Amino acid sequence: MTSDTPDFDAARDHVLHEVVRFARKLRLAGATVPANAALPATEALVEVGLGDRARVRGAMHATLVTNARDSETFDELFPEFWYRLRTGLEAAAAVDDGEQWGDRGADERDGNTDVDGALSDPSAADSPDAAETLDGDGEGDPEGELEVRSRRIADTAVPPDEFDGDDERSSTFSAVGASTEIDDESTDGARLDRSAVQDFEAALATLAGRRWSRSRDGTAVDVRGALRESLSTGGVAVKLPARERDRSAFSACVLVDVSQSVLDAIDRGFLLSVLDALVADGRSVRVFFFDTDIREVTEVFARQRGDPAAALERSEVTWGGGTQIGASLATLRARWPHAVDRQTATVVVSDGLDVGELDDLEGGMAWLARRSGAVVWLNPLAASPRYEPTCRGMAAALPYVDALFAFGGNDDLRDVARQLERYGPGGPVGYEHDFRDRVPVGDGPDAGGADDDSGGDGSGRTGVARS
Amino acid sequence: MSEGAAAFADLTEDDLRGVFEGADYVADEELVTAVYLSLKMGKPLLVEGEPGSGKTELGKVLAEGFETELVRLQCYEGLAAEHALYEWNYTKQMLAVQSGEGNVEGSGGTVEEPEAAGTGDKSVFSDEYIFERPLLQALTHEGPTPPVLLIDEVDRADEEFEAFLLEVLSDFQASIPEYGTVAADQRPVVVITSNRTRGLSDALKRRCLYCYVEPPEFEAELEIVRRKVPELDAAVAAEVCGIVQELREEAFLKQPGVAETLDWARAVATLRSNGDESHLTAEEIQRSVGTLLKEAEDVQRIDAELLERLETAAREARGRVDT
Repeated sequence: MTSDTPDFDAARDHVLHEVVRFARKLRLAGATVPANAALPATEALVEVGLGDRARVRGAMHATLVTNARDSETFDELFPEFWYRLRTGLEAAAAVDDGEQWGDRGADERDGNTDVDGALSDPSAADSPDAAETLDGDGEGDPEGELEVRSRRIADTAVPPDEFDGDDERSSTFSAVGASTEIDDESTDGARLDRSAVQDFEAALATLAGRRWSRSRDGTAVDVRGALRESLSTGGVAVKLPARERDRSAFSACVLVDVSQSVLDAIDRGFLLSVLDALVADGRSVRVFFFDTDIREVTEVFARQRGDPAAALERSEVTWGGGTQIGASLATLRARWPHAVDRQTATVVVSDGLDVGELDDLEGGMAWLARRSGAVVWLNPLAASPRYEPTCRGMAAALPYVDALFAFGGNDDLRDVARQLERYGPGGPVGYEHDFRDRVPVGDGPDAGGADDDSGGDGSGRTGVARS
Repeated sequence: MSEGAAAFADLTEDDLRGVFEGADYVADEELVTAVYLSLKMGKPLLVEGEPGSGKTELGKVLAEGFETELVRLQCYEGLAAEHALYEWNYTKQMLAVQSGEGNVEGSGGTVEEPEAAGTGDKSVFSDEYIFERPLLQALTHEGPTPPVLLIDEVDRADEEFEAFLLEVLSDFQASIPEYGTVAADQRPVVVITSNRTRGLSDALKRRCLYCYVEPPEFEAELEIVRRKVPELDAAVAAEVCGIVQELREEAFLKQPGVAETLDWARAVATLRSNGDESHLTAEEIQRSVGTLLKEAEDVQRIDAELLERLETAAREARGRVDT
């Protein structure tokens, strides 16, 4: 039997529950939602009412979102919130006497069960937004096919030879590819220009160095400067100039993807030389290698300066496996939570070709972005003029990255430094702002481009020349 | 419970749309809702967006629309509390003390009783000796409608200043050590703008409602140009907007905002003072593109191929209006 009187208490509880849940889901998805945001969000709903979808959306956006970067996440999750809000309110408006309304909606409240429910619900099916949420990436997502294929390849039960005509992809994308030991022969490459690395370090320097310089906001008194200036006023110091230490020291956490796809696309010797230089020059630089797992190799670089390949070989460090960035970041977070902080620049060297769970990757990147001073992603594939970050891993990580740059040689490092020096990690910087004339080598598709193409010739060159 | 000003108790979103309409300010629904909530809930509104997207204009429009005072605080690096809140008139204080008209005792923590205890003289730390800066002006404003406090480009100020703002924005009061606590009788309408040159603190964001002003779609931008530059022919205005939309697809260092579009529209109107309604030519575009692109590297990227695309975009835009 159905009562004519709406259950106002249940409706109020439902709205509060859904607002809190929505805020929590936004946080889980990596959005920065203030701790008390549910309170003004609920107040805002009081002002705009619950009947108009656009007004509710505007109110929730104004109160829960604090960064434009999170708007996309908000738009992905809002349709589900709206559907749950409305269906719950409709249930409260005509609650059955013999049935607890809260129980009725209980199976819709958690996990994906509500998704199934929404699919079977004609009203939800009519809503394009609901469909968008349920379909995941939505209509026309170019990544959809790639995602399925990648996961199949990641499955050890499926032999790679089932993928006709896609052998290169299967070997490149394998999450379980066998690792190989590092040897000197495979690491011969271009000579590193130390000045390029030093420029790069200077651009990302976040810590106070030894040198002092005048600063209006400095906390230390420049005694010498005050004495010098007092000479012109008869020995009376009219004002005390301040000084502070230059921010010239470099602190970084370098996460290097050593999967086969990256090794195929990069000059391995150059990569190791850069890492060696960073460890040597930085105040606090920690280097991690990751593929399907992550391990710290800072000590190996620190122990034997100048010949990192030999040191890595002796330490039996392997590389060349598959890629699971999300799982690796989760391990980093669990085992080395203090490897990154707000004073640390996180440098990720990876092509973003990932076969792990996207949720893990996004969660890991969100954590990294929150903890780090800046996240700079160096992608060997981005050196191609036709590069677009459309592969699922790179696309998922991109919102959490301050800047994505090409990484193939000394010139790339210099350009990274030039851009960061001028605009900082949060400015208009990245591979798309690299205005050097980039000419594909070996004309044709092999020259690289879309990042679903390993584009390598095995020599470690990225298929790009600078004119 | 919401703590919006009594002056906005009966405000509706339609009223607000009327205010924007009256000032020829084209606002999307998201912005209308955010401003509406800000007024009703009495919370500051943090507006972020690219330079030239109309953030500052929003504050001006609200002040004009509600016929109240606009108090503007332009932020810059090194901005300190004394420049934003108050400053003592030291010269006047010194003269008062020397002439025996005032003493240097504090007012004892209350604004209402500025007389120094025990002396009978007037304290030189009273409102007579104070220079009110924008924040204090907004807090002490008297009138039926609260003032609009526009804190412009807060991202240019230091983090220390942001921390200082927290007290003002959460309690709408400010503490002056020698004077006492100044609390607003009615909360000012606070609009904070940021160009996102740096991230703002979570503490500040938590106290604000948030709105990001996206570059407008073609139709909205055309509406803005038509209202603000009525002297420009409608078809040419459409071409201008079509070209700007196409330029925003390029990875320029500095994307053209609405302000740049209006500048360019005015430039084109000036160059075509004879009312010429013909298509914009590549030569015209190249000659006047300096009003749109403000970085040398961006201007250098305007080559023949891009100009050809811009011409095509212009013709398509004209076609959309003609149909």
